[in-house]
Amino acid sequence: MFQFVLDVLIRTADLALVAVGLSAVYALVKFPNVSHVQYAALGAFLTLAGQRLGLPFALAMALSCVVTGAVAVLLNTLVFRRLLRSGPAIAMIGSLAVSMVMVALMLGVAGSRPLRYDFEIVSPLVIAGARVSHAQAYSIGAALLVLGGFAWLLYRTPMGRRMRALATNRALAEATGIDAHQVTNLISLISGALAAIGGTMLAMTSDVHVNLGTDLLLPVFAAAIIGGLGNPLGAAAGALLIAVAETAVTNLNFGWLVGQPLAFLPVTYIGAASFLFLLVALLFKPYGLFDREVRRV
Amino acid sequence: MFDFFIHAVSVAAIYALVAVSLNIQAGYAGLLNLGHIAFVGVGAYAVGIAHHLQWHPGLGWAMGIAAAAVLGFFMSRLGRNLGADYWGIATLAVAEIVRTIALNEDWLTGGAQGISGVTPLWSSLDAGSARWAFLATVLLVLALAMGLSSRLGAGRFGRALRLLREEPALATSMGYDLVALKSKATVASAMLAAVAGAFLGHYISYVGPDFMLASETFLIWTMLMIGGLGHVGGVVLGAFLVQAIYASMPFAKDWLGIGSDVAGAVRLGLIGCLLLACLLWRKDGLVPETLRKL
Repeated sequence: MFQFVLDVLIRTADLALVAVGLSAVYALVKFPNVSHVQYAALGAFLTLAGQRLGLPFALAMALSCVVTGAVAVLLNTLVFRRLLRSGPAIAMIGSLAVSMVMVALMLGVAGSRPLRYDFEIVSPLVIAGARVSHAQAYSIGAALLVLGGFAWLLYRTPMGRRMRALATNRALAEATGIDAHQVTNLISLISGALAAIGGTMLAMTSDVHVNLGTDLLLPVFAAAIIGGLGNPLGAAAGALLIAVAETAVTNLNFGWLVGQPLAFLPVTYIGAASFLFLLVALLFKPYGLFDREVRRV
Repeated sequence: MFDFFIHAVSVAAIYALVAVSLNIQAGYAGLLNLGHIAFVGVGAYAVGIAHHLQWHPGLGWAMGIAAAAVLGFFMSRLGRNLGADYWGIATLAVAEIVRTIALNEDWLTGGAQGISGVTPLWSSLDAGSARWAFLATVLLVLALAMGLSSRLGAGRFGRALRLLREEPALATSMGYDLVALKSKATVASAMLAAVAGAFLGHYISYVGPDFMLASETFLIWTMLMIGGLGHVGGVVLGAFLVQAIYASMPFAKDWLGIGSDVAGAVRLGLIGCLLLACLLWRKDGLVPETLRKL
């Protein structure tokens, strides 16, 4: 049972960091940025590059966060702001194009073979009979720490108040003198950095490969939509739900349904579970589980 | 070399057919369907499964078109009260679910191996003339589909779809049933896509789950955006342009002496940059949709 909880937590940590950033940026720019998951892959590759250049892992990860955040800000100012003038659908297709270019760059530079970070091999920790590797423990810890910091920024600082004001009523917020571009850039920077941490953590527990971002696309969007796009902490809760669904699907014994002692769904159905979850959520709660606004759809 | 040319044109024509089909919902009705490739996959798989069960190929075509129509109806009903971008994500999820099913249900679809050895069209002819016959068939169907699609677009149905795209509130007030219109557009588009899928299955005589990767849908969207969303001739031009880049990659690889990873990266990057440049500087594509002025 404790192993189940740990598995859920590990998956949540990976998804939440990316989904929270996606949702926070959506609140300001009002289009789903598909290339956001590629920031995670870029972050993982940059950390790897830093480590290969001889930097200590923590420093490599910090640098990767800064660079990925800067890329997010640049793309936002140079590309997405212009595309948004033609509407959210065009901006979304534009973000598809950006993610194609980013995948192409990563494929061209690093190749398609999976790569690994250089860590010493240590035996996994055993907590209450459940096995957890050091990387996984770090991943859970880092996610909790970073998400806590982000929540503090959003709900306890003037910056966070400006961001929430812009998300709720843009016209009114701008009329009170809030600089929308500045806030959007800062949130883009932070969300890029969060995605870089998420990608690095994910790659730490598996490996760095070019499909890392693309594989995250649907689970992360599912988490963000279930939490309500534009509601960052809802996205973290959405990530938890998706992680529970994915872990449960593979761990539950469906034997009693078919009258056999053991019957498990194939591992490849993991993805389908979260997509199905997403579809059900869209059918009944199109604006997420935590949406309190009354509106016509 | 000449055989390669026929091959490139045949593949381009099949993709043009897919682009024309997506144009019916994305171009005319402005629906952001990111799971369009599932219809193509269903069409291809129907042909493959019919071959596997040794049914008549015609039955496979009919099954594929029917199954795609049902899937299209389901997709459009799913999105009847969703915003455009939410619906886009939902269709992406539907396509991924269809792909996951195709990947796992070995008894029906052959799993990750797919179904190989599907009988090509015109298999009674010798290899050389069969290639020509196939090309002629696809081009004929493409021409028919283009004609049909532009007639559809210029007629009452197409005007209703454009009104729905531009002014949904006005369309409702004029008595159009928006959900029914969207469903009709999606089903029509799905059926045409299934035809293209059936051609694809026969042509490469193989069907597999990789047909339905999300990146394939993005490729078709690129064709539409480059060519001109909403203009039938434009999207066909876009399909041929993108396929020209794809087909010339093996040569570029040999000339420049680059590895296959880099060649794949150059191809993907080139198409991404082209799409981005189009969106930024030529939003309506190379051949913009002509709207009738009143």
